[in-house]
Amino acid sequence: MIGYIIRRVIVALIVTLGIAIITFLMLHYLQPTPVRIVLGAKSTPQAIADWNKQHGFDRSEIAQLGSYLWGLVRGHFGQSYKLGQSVSALFKENAGRSAYLSGAALVLSVLIAIPLGIFQAVKRNSIADYSLTSAAMILYSMPSFFLGLILIQFLALDLHVFPTGVSDTITTTWGAITHPKQLCLPIVTLTAINIASFSRYMRSSALDNLAQDYIRLARAKGLSERAVLTRHLLRNSCLPMITLVGLSIPGLLAGNLLIETLFNYQGLGLLFYNALQGDDYNILLALTIFGGFLTVIGNLVADIAITAADPRIRIA
Amino acid sequence: MPDPLALKPLVDGGALATEPPGGPERAPEGGEVQVLSSGWKLALREFCQNKLGVAGVIIIVFFLLFCFLGPVVHHETATVNVLNSDVAPGHGHLLGTDDAGLDELNQVMLGGQTALAIGFFSAAIATIVGTLYGAISGLVGGLLDGLMMRFVDILLSIPFLLVVLILATKYHGTVFKLSVVLGIWTWLVPARLVRGEVLTLRVRDFVSAARVMGAGQPRLVFRHLIPNAMSVVIVNITFQVADAILALAYLGFLGFGLSPPQTSWGDMLGNAQQYVTNGQWWLVYPVGGCLVAVVLACNFIGDGLRDAVDVRLRRR
Repeated sequence: MIGYIIRRVIVALIVTLGIAIITFLMLHYLQPTPVRIVLGAKSTPQAIADWNKQHGFDRSEIAQLGSYLWGLVRGHFGQSYKLGQSVSALFKENAGRSAYLSGAALVLSVLIAIPLGIFQAVKRNSIADYSLTSAAMILYSMPSFFLGLILIQFLALDLHVFPTGVSDTITTTWGAITHPKQLCLPIVTLTAINIASFSRYMRSSALDNLAQDYIRLARAKGLSERAVLTRHLLRNSCLPMITLVGLSIPGLLAGNLLIETLFNYQGLGLLFYNALQGDDYNILLALTIFGGFLTVIGNLVADIAITAADPRIRIA
Repeated sequence: MPDPLALKPLVDGGALATEPPGGPERAPEGGEVQVLSSGWKLALREFCQNKLGVAGVIIIVFFLLFCFLGPVVHHETATVNVLNSDVAPGHGHLLGTDDAGLDELNQVMLGGQTALAIGFFSAAIATIVGTLYGAISGLVGGLLDGLMMRFVDILLSIPFLLVVLILATKYHGTVFKLSVVLGIWTWLVPARLVRGEVLTLRVRDFVSAARVMGAGQPRLVFRHLIPNAMSVVIVNITFQVADAILALAYLGFLGFGLSPPQTSWGDMLGNAQQYVTNGQWWLVYPVGGCLVAVVLACNFIGDGLRDAVDVRLRRR
């Protein structure tokens, strides 16, 4: 097991390195130097050359890549020339709020999707199952911001239950946690989108397990239906959720992007969106590499967790 | 000399063997039982029994007619007229008019044309690139295969939406550019699928037979491997189209869509938040509804096709 984990971690590090190299080269191709942002569009060629030389943008691509990677190892993500701050500082400032939004949505959606999927499997092909499946299919086919808009229309504008967006006064993670009403709509939107995909897998996993002999045995020995479902079915049919949650962690970052933009919630997604608008490439680079890193970590953690949870899975 | 390929379906025996050249001539005359019914016909018959899949096809055909033939029936001069802007539905405009005074129904049709076109083009690019890459990787095997697939793994770990948004900041505005930007990051999944298929196909007898008969690598790839791997590819295309249209909606919403006067469903939702706040529902829900319907239909078709071509994945 230890050897397996070490091997996987080494592969994960190599993949992360590959992600960093590919993303760096791509962004470097799109914008070789941020000099125009710093000095303005009308700067003289001499000033541009001087600035490039001063900040190392006149070196070869490989040299620049090397120093960027060396910076990454030491935890330096470069400088946001637009905002005049280091990317690490911006990151620290915003990551907590994004993690809170994603985390709350993820926990809620898992807690709702598991019983929902089991319910659908037990009542399969009933009207309730069909309507829930259709609802999930529609949500699954809907852009997340569109669901957000519908919720804004009904819950914020028509019924005045929640505010249309997150207030600018929420500047800290603690502020976000202590003002649940402000964050209700973004969390509900993300949760609903997640449930749409989670409950599908949960339903089919529960269906697979319901057909197994151990369920028949549990019923045959006289257990109540409740005990069969909670003691036997629940644990076994939750196994695919481990992988699914692991795989959805990086998706939350991208999902956040639209939801944070829609509700004007200061987080990594909105930071990324603003960086897109302003060609702030160091932020784009750092966040994309971070997203890739999360994907790798999510896969790794899911694989290790599933081996720990399911003794039938042998490590090759 | 008889065409050696004519033996293929007999040797292969799989339900998915494509029709060999000269196949129809060898089929029994009408009235007899068709033993050698081709895999595609079986799959088609299976698909026709899937109600949701057929509904999906009907929805897609409806939208193709609506978007491409609709403007012929629904005459509307596409001239900007600010005096006629933001008119509510009725009053000669079935869906009202937008900010520029353009008829919204006409805009929905035009936006649908580009959205469908980008969806199909990007799926086509992704499928062609992915199929070739996967087939070559699976066929050569060994170290090169390993390297090619690790490259795919790394690219797959980079969050799709983030990287597409970064590329779209520089490359957007035309149908061609957006199709390429979306296609260039979605070939990874078909590449993996095709490689997996090719790995199982290349050791099959009919491939060995073709090789023994002196078929070169290109002939093996194009004549034997790709046609037999086509089923997974075709199933994947429908999901690719759905994902591309969703991604296009995200790009349009964030402001990286087509340049005016061209528009797509995504671009039309770009100011949706403002429209919702202003109560201009007709500029949000019709276009959003069309988008969800098309994506939903693609997902239905994809599910139906997957069940039709692969018995193992069929739902209980």
